[in-house]
Amino acid sequence: MIPPRPYALLAELTYKCPLHCPYCSNPTQIRVDVDLTTGEWHRVIREVAALGVLQIGFSGGEPLLRRDLAELIAAARSAGLYTNLITSGVGLNRNRTRELHAAGLDSVQLSFQADEVDLADAIAGTRVHDLKTEAARWIHEAEIPLSLNFVIHRANIDRLAQIIALGESLGSSRIELANTQFYGWGFLNRVQLLPTRHQVEHAREIAMAAQARLAGKIEIYYVLPDYYELSPKPCLNGWGSRYLTVNPIGDVLPCPTAASAIPEMRFENVRRRSLEWIWRESESFNAFRGTEWMPEPCRSCPQRDIDFGGCRCQAALVTGKAHNADPVCKFSSHRPKIDHVIASLNSERTEWIPRSGPAMLA
Amino acid sequence: MCFGRSSIPFIMITQIADDARPRLSRGVRMQIDRRTGARLLLFPEAILELNETAQEIVARCDGRAVDEIAIDLAEHYDVDLVTIRRDVRETLRDLQQRRLIEFE
Repeated sequence: MIPPRPYALLAELTYKCPLHCPYCSNPTQIRVDVDLTTGEWHRVIREVAALGVLQIGFSGGEPLLRRDLAELIAAARSAGLYTNLITSGVGLNRNRTRELHAAGLDSVQLSFQADEVDLADAIAGTRVHDLKTEAARWIHEAEIPLSLNFVIHRANIDRLAQIIALGESLGSSRIELANTQFYGWGFLNRVQLLPTRHQVEHAREIAMAAQARLAGKIEIYYVLPDYYELSPKPCLNGWGSRYLTVNPIGDVLPCPTAASAIPEMRFENVRRRSLEWIWRESESFNAFRGTEWMPEPCRSCPQRDIDFGGCRCQAALVTGKAHNADPVCKFSSHRPKIDHVIASLNSERTEWIPRSGPAMLA
Repeated sequence: MCFGRSSIPFIMITQIADDARPRLSRGVRMQIDRRTGARLLLFPEAILELNETAQEIVARCDGRAVDEIAIDLAEHYDVDLVTIRRDVRETLRDLQQRRLIEFE
């Protein structure tokens, strides 16, 4: 098949992060290599723009740790890309916010851990909550569109109403209430993080009420944890169909979590191949394109062109094989593994493993 | 990083006055797609490809009033003003519901 064009690049500028959130989807281990230089990122930006990419998300880790962030934003803007910054806010101050704005930053997605300082700092594993509320103010002052992202899990889901109230007070036009998805550190901690069904339903009612109340003023997105769904999410709108990720050492990934979730897959690197070749020709991008690769129950399923068999990473993490149906699907023979996690929520495991820098694999 | 969002749609019913002045919302940029030549709206985490009618309408959201846009299009394309007025209103209402334009 002729590969479609990519629309969006996730540029993971570094895996370093001052926060230790237990739900982080970054890899828990990574092979040793030198991070891409400023010049190499310039080339990546030029090449993806030529491929058709229209949006770039600067992410990480914490992208503000890169001193060349403003320069890369300017490069992306001059290549015609819409620029998003996905950040914890740590590393921002008023001057730097203005500098990023002047470089052409189009929008910011700022993460928060909770509505109140002690809980938020306990989740982040460091004292950052007050700094984040200041960061929101600076972004608002600089008139950069701000979207707030709250990752929701068992330790904060019962405070959803207060979380929404904080979001309203920070001048944001969009609030995402995203239940944790389980990759990277989040997968290690899923028994500690997954809310109960009752909590999820109650939170959904609160989110829907806020959505109705704030209609036309603030957009509210509530993302269910997919373990409670019976059909899988249409992950990435299909593997290798719209998105690509370049990680800090230059590996090009169809999905940001693929390198850690599917360790047997070989990924190409921007230091050795062009982005165009990688997008069109590489084994990793072609592995799950279209529907030919699907085994049953996906192969004959009428939903296969709608959900694309769900998430390859989740299939790999839970079933051991990336080409299996996403195990949240009611037709998956591995669905009992998901139900087992849900059933074990009242176990004694309440202490999570905080995120740290990835362990280095030689 | 987090992924996989789903949204719960809401319905907003609004009236668009003839003298309302539409403009792109903050954070929304219109751009020519270098691959296809089409006009696109770019905004946080999404892209909207505009159909031909919408391209012509959005290109005129530059401080003009709704009725001025309709009259200009009717003259430019030599079509019936009543039809164009309806198309302009429908398109603007759709874009407003997606929060891509706002009215002054």
